[in-house]
Amino acid sequence: MTPEARFDELIHPSTRLSIVALLAAADWADFAFVRDQLDLSDSALSKQLATLEEAGYIAIERPLSDRRRRVRARLTPLGRERYAGHVAALHEIIAEAPAAPASVSVED
Amino acid sequence: MTYPTKAEARVALQGAEQARRSVIDQIGMPGWYWWGLAACWIVLGVLADVSAAWWIVLGATVAVGAGHSYVFQRLVGGRQRTGDVKVRADVAGRDAHLLVIAFLLALVAVTVVLALLLDADGAGHPSIWASVFVAILLLLGGPRVMDWIRARATERTAAQ
Repeated sequence: MTPEARFDELIHPSTRLSIVALLAAADWADFAFVRDQLDLSDSALSKQLATLEEAGYIAIERPLSDRRRRVRARLTPLGRERYAGHVAALHEIIAEAPAAPASVSVED
Repeated sequence: MTYPTKAEARVALQGAEQARRSVIDQIGMPGWYWWGLAACWIVLGVLADVSAAWWIVLGATVAVGAGHSYVFQRLVGGRQRTGDVKVRADVAGRDAHLLVIAFLLALVAVTVVLALLLDADGAGHPSIWASVFVAILLLLGGPRVMDWIRARATERTAAQ
């Protein structure tokens, strides 16, 4: 089923889009894995994950079974739906002229 | 709300695809899995040739099969090579684990047929030679099967 195109401003910033795209391909991912793959600092990743978690797009888990203290992130069904919609919206923008005004910055 | 330009949208999708590929790159089995399996293959071949009691060979085969089943499930058929990430089944391909199992079953068939042919030819220790040959095939072919599964996953990503 083709997802409904829906531009999502929360996901769109490049770092958050990369985080969500990475999590969309995984059932879950370790904090350190996401950090290393996206070349982020601990604090930068924590901040972005907190924003996404607050929006209900991801869930943070701290599995107790491992000896190592781990933090895992997974995309929620809402996050998955919003990501699919956002990707569809980006494809639409590429395929045809965007209906909304483009974000063109004009310098004086 | 400000929408990105076509160029910005393209860059955003490229970034998303790159992130997705970093997960696809994690599909695979750890090196110790192939080496361990190859070692078990040879041990079974040696037992089949040198053990006088059939029940020892049968018991060892069942033990290796059960051990492999446990490890294979722990690695989720290549979707959880490390404890860092678990690749989604629809990303790896829902039949990815079946491809690995099919590869292993094909090697079992090659081992049996080769051992029978060597035995018919009068070679000494046919099971050992057959298992060593197949263990080499396993070490060379196993990672290639995982490469192929990764390539398929990447192709699907590019098509989306």
